Amino acid sequence: MKQLMVMLLAAAFASYGQAPGPIALRGARIVTARGPVLEHGTVLLRNGLIEAVGENIDLPKDAWVIDGQGITVYPGLIDALSTVGLPETPAQPATPPRTETPATPRLGAQEPPMPLEQGPQFRPFTTTWVRAADLLNPADRHIEEARSAGFTSTVTFPATGIFAGQGAFLNLSGEKLGRMVVASPTGQYVTLTTHGFGTYPGSLMGVIAYVRQVSLDADHYQLEMQAYAKHPAGQKRPAYDRAVEGLLESPRLLLPADNAKQLDRMLHFAAELKHPAVLYGGHEAYKIADRVAQSSVPLLINLKWPEKPKDADPDQEESYRTLELRDRAPSSPAALEKAGAKFAFYSGGAPFKDVRKAVKRAIDAGLTEPAAVRALTLSVAEIYGLSDRVGSIEPGKIANLLVVKGDLFDEKSKIQYVFIDGVKYEPVPEAPPAEREGRPTPGGVE
Amino acid sequence: MKRAALFLLALPLVAAGPTTVIRNATVITVTKGTFVGSVLIRDGKIVEAGEKVLVPDGARVIDATGKFVMPGIIDCHSHIAADSINEGAVAVSSMVGIEDVVNPDDPDIYRALAGGVTTANVLHGSANPIGGKCEVMKMRWGKDAAGLKFEGAMPGIKFALGENVKRSGSPGGGFGNSPGLRYPASRMGVEDVIREAFTEARAYQKEWRDYQAKVDRHEQAIPPRRDLKLEPLVEVLEGKRYVHAHCYRADEILMLLRVADDFGFKVRTLQHVLEGYKVAKEIAAHGAGASTFSDWWAYKAEAYDAIPYNAALMVRKGVLVSLNSDSAELMRHLNTEAAKAMKYGGLNETEALSLVTINPAKQLGIENRVGSIEPGKDADLAIFDKHPLSNYAKVDKVFIDGELYFDREKDLEERPGKEARKKALSDKLKQQEKKERKRPESPGEKKGDEPGGAQ
Amino acid sequence: MRIFLTLLLALAPLSAAEPILLRGAVVHPVSGPDIPEGAVLVRDGKIAEVGAHISVPKGARVIELKGLHIYPGMIDSATELGLSEIGAVREMNDISDLGLFKPQLRASAAVNPASEHIPVTRANGITSVITSPGGGIIAGQSVLMHLNGWTMEDMAVRAPVAIRMEYPHVQMPGRFGGGEAPGRVSAYTEAKKRYEQQVRELNDFMESARRYGQAKATPGPDFETDLRLEAMLPVLDGKLPLLIRAEKEKTIKEAIAFADKQKVHMILERGAEAWKVAAELKAHDIPVILPPTLRLPDEEDDPYDKPFSVPGELYKAGVKFAFASFGPGSEDNPRNLPYQAAAAVGFGLPVEEALKAVTLYPAQIWGVGGELGSIEKGKWADLIVTDGDPLETRTEIKQVFIKGQSVDLENKHHRLYEKYLTR
Repeated sequence: MKQLMVMLLAAAFASYGQAPGPIALRGARIVTARGPVLEHGTVLLRNGLIEAVGENIDLPKDAWVIDGQGITVYPGLIDALSTVGLPETPAQPATPPRTETPATPRLGAQEPPMPLEQGPQFRPFTTTWVRAADLLNPADRHIEEARSAGFTSTVTFPATGIFAGQGAFLNLSGEKLGRMVVASPTGQYVTLTTHGFGTYPGSLMGVIAYVRQVSLDADHYQLEMQAYAKHPAGQKRPAYDRAVEGLLESPRLLLPADNAKQLDRMLHFAAELKHPAVLYGGHEAYKIADRVAQSSVPLLINLKWPEKPKDADPDQEESYRTLELRDRAPSSPAALEKAGAKFAFYSGGAPFKDVRKAVKRAIDAGLTEPAAVRALTLSVAEIYGLSDRVGSIEPGKIANLLVVKGDLFDEKSKIQYVFIDGVKYEPVPEAPPAEREGRPTPGGVE
Repeated sequence: MKRAALFLLALPLVAAGPTTVIRNATVITVTKGTFVGSVLIRDGKIVEAGEKVLVPDGARVIDATGKFVMPGIIDCHSHIAADSINEGAVAVSSMVGIEDVVNPDDPDIYRALAGGVTTANVLHGSANPIGGKCEVMKMRWGKDAAGLKFEGAMPGIKFALGENVKRSGSPGGGFGNSPGLRYPASRMGVEDVIREAFTEARAYQKEWRDYQAKVDRHEQAIPPRRDLKLEPLVEVLEGKRYVHAHCYRADEILMLLRVADDFGFKVRTLQHVLEGYKVAKEIAAHGAGASTFSDWWAYKAEAYDAIPYNAALMVRKGVLVSLNSDSAELMRHLNTEAAKAMKYGGLNETEALSLVTINPAKQLGIENRVGSIEPGKDADLAIFDKHPLSNYAKVDKVFIDGELYFDREKDLEERPGKEARKKALSDKLKQQEKKERKRPESPGEKKGDEPGGAQ
Repeated sequence: MRIFLTLLLALAPLSAAEPILLRGAVVHPVSGPDIPEGAVLVRDGKIAEVGAHISVPKGARVIELKGLHIYPGMIDSATELGLSEIGAVREMNDISDLGLFKPQLRASAAVNPASEHIPVTRANGITSVITSPGGGIIAGQSVLMHLNGWTMEDMAVRAPVAIRMEYPHVQMPGRFGGGEAPGRVSAYTEAKKRYEQQVRELNDFMESARRYGQAKATPGPDFETDLRLEAMLPVLDGKLPLLIRAEKEKTIKEAIAFADKQKVHMILERGAEAWKVAAELKAHDIPVILPPTLRLPDEEDDPYDKPFSVPGELYKAGVKFAFASFGPGSEDNPRNLPYQAAAAVGFGLPVEEALKAVTLYPAQIWGVGGELGSIEKGKWADLIVTDGDPLETRTEIKQVFIKGQSVDLENKHHRLYEKYLTR
């Protein structure tokens, strides 16, 4: 009878609204992400925070107790690099939009020649100051899609341009904007994309040189500003540089590195730039895992494993390198775990509903389950410096939880619901799959 | 003997292959004659080359009877092993550099090795009057980007004159009469761009000297903003970076030499320099080297007066000449390209082989390390089964730093295994794909899921 | 009077009228064993005699070539010679015209006999070439021409010698033009549709030509001459070969099937993957005009020496082939033809076969086996005098005869060399 009452109550408070008072999940299998798994544990939530977790906890009388039989509780999954929550059309970059081909000929028009050299203020495809937190669209349907796949948070970044902008750690509650932002800024997303032969930078080496120059400009800017601040009187004031300001605000740089040579390149580059760095992509990390570990540079791994392009020419031979990457990429997380490197997962181009399957492939290739869980939860929080408030089931942390019937990585298991800031959200049925058509996906390299 | 001893003391602790003797071959040293004998390699260096060489205990012996050993070939103009070639959107792109985009996975590295090449000068392309920085690399196939670098080689930068540079700015990027969208669109503009850039570089140099002076006087000062574009140009002015300038027409060659003289620097090499034979006198007087094609011509207007006698003529006039490839394909047979300078212009064997060994080494400032078979130099060697100037010759083995990087026998042996391995992997992936297509959409989500309600 | 006549004879250029006896050299007929100290008699532009001892006919000019070698002049089976002067300058380029089906376009009508490429090329012993038009599916008529003459009438050996076409194949969009932007979801599907359409159009065109031929045989009052279809008739009758360019195994197989179905005589051009289809080529007696030996492997995982070893493989499979430069514009210079052949020798092709593949075999492939390609009685006196093996770079070409006439070896390059030697 009590069971029925609980169920009715649960149904009544299906997706919305704050459950009154404390909530407890009792007698469940609890994977805290730090320390051993509690086979028969209880977690108590109150006021949007985790109040207690353990094998035997005293529960307050007014707690809504949910029976944890047959379910596993995980920390809510965190997508380490995402565009969820941003509007579909990206914000206009400050500089002219990119052209696919070299400038189209305009017969007869006499274009003035480009200035011989662009001055220090020339900042193509750079919007370092743009903050994801300022652009949020709580009605983004991807929020629900992510939640239904077990994600309670994403680290969302603007995605277009070389310096695309600053990210924010979001709770996917999808209601009040202000309540969604857990932390901002979380870092600067850098893409190293080029924009056609006729536009600077038109080559990979051009973009790298450009990023390096901006970094040097930031160093110099700081010196200038500090010197001016000390004795403004009688001094020429330095020009305000919006792009550099945006870079200086960013606690870390996210740099693309998918295959081994890019990882090698970016590890060198990261060491050169004085900014803390995080690399993303990581598919060939299995080749260079020890080096990644030694560098202490965290690596975000794209869960969209390489696959054969959908409309490829069946008569065109693929190179061994391509095949090997396709085969071995899912073993990169295991290699990184073994080497002791710090890494986490992000959904990349993979639809949210396929994330668990993608992680399972990594587990089949040697990644341990606890490491898999950490890569989706606590490691993300640690990489972004937020492990004091989110990412594991520990007292004091934000009540973001994932409740699964069965084991998370078991094909047959089902996601029951998630808690975000202590509020319960049910998964929605699989409506039109929210394919990310026409939207820039983070994680593209080169 | 003393020199060898000194070198033994100075040897870096490099893991560079076992002590090796290449025995009983025709040794073409290039600088010290040709003889039938042997070469002793230890710790990555040539220790001895002579008619009678004692084989140390435990040395690996390579029997090269009937074969030919020559110094590893040096290609002074290459674009392999790099993920970018041109930054053509701006007229001056000296801030970019090949060192940032080295691609150690490029199969052309191995293919060059198989043609006897051991060192290549990997250059930025020819899209701008002042291009990006270059890197000298050894073809150490299998190493990472840092491992390919020719340690200690003087850094370089690429300039380009003529048609490629003018058309880069044109709409559609092709040749034609349409006005360029990017300056310059004429040879006059090319000169202007270079002069303007060096004028700026001088000002930048002064800025930093003024700052240094202040520091020396213990005055308060913040350093000037570092400009990555102008820094390499200051290095050129100070003789710390070599200029390799792509050029064709005689007049533009002279233009560049004049500009260099005006700004007080030397052009290290003129690249392609297909009309170099017309102004060989001036090139020799300036002290520039010339790195050219053996016999390409008529593919562009500025190449219409190119002649295969170019290399030989310039050699006769006292220019330091090398033959280059500018092509991953041609790179594979620079030895036979060298023979063309014998046919066209009458160079002798040693002069011809110098064009692809000691001469490019000198042009790149690495002749103390490579370019000939002499004790103390790096053990960068190629073994051919016939005389390298014969079109019937093929490369047997290639050593770099005394390590065997290419072995034709081994390459042939490994082929069936490689094919089998690829087929196995391909089949495995095909099976996986088949399985994927049969599965339901994704685990745990079947049709007809009801929202809400715990089970 | 006698003095006048003698002076006339002395001053007259070495014309075809006067017999020439070349002797003392090693003669390499190619069609038979070498003659260590042989002689060749040239009369009326043709080879009158070849042997160890030839008596000097009356009025013959004797040229002593002791210590030297006589080879047949070489034949380059694929060039743009005369159609392209400077590759990048569009105005100097007549290789292809607009349209997909243009068999009526004749390379012989557009070759510039004054092209600087001609003297430069023949100076290295190439005495005749195939110049082919390009572009579209059916590109036009190729010409086999001698590299000596004031006009095309002087130069042409066979005009046309073949009709050249490229067999349709799936063309995936590349990075630089050639279709839609890469990365489109339906890239292959769309490319395949285009290819299928081209195949249909090609077969329709052949069908139209066939019907035109039938109509022409018994022309009704409405019969109109169609130059395009007219041009195809010799091909359909099997009198003129169809030079078909195809690279990949699949395309080659389809081309063979097409040639079979259309009952035309096929020559395969390029055929990068011909080695995969060698048995079929042999079975159908289809010869191959090889792509340049000196090129990079086509696939990343190909052995590094694949292009070098293919000629040897085809030889072992019994496939007949000839080397070609595909220059001067796009690929190597035609003067380097012998070195394309030599490059295959180290990797499995016997050296005699390499020589034959630039002399006798191309002559046979192009249907002029009775006129060119070896030093045999009755053939044109296309001869080169060398100081050694012409396939080796260091060998000097001392003299070149085309149709029995000694050709001036002077050319633009040598002139410029001499000019600047003294600066």
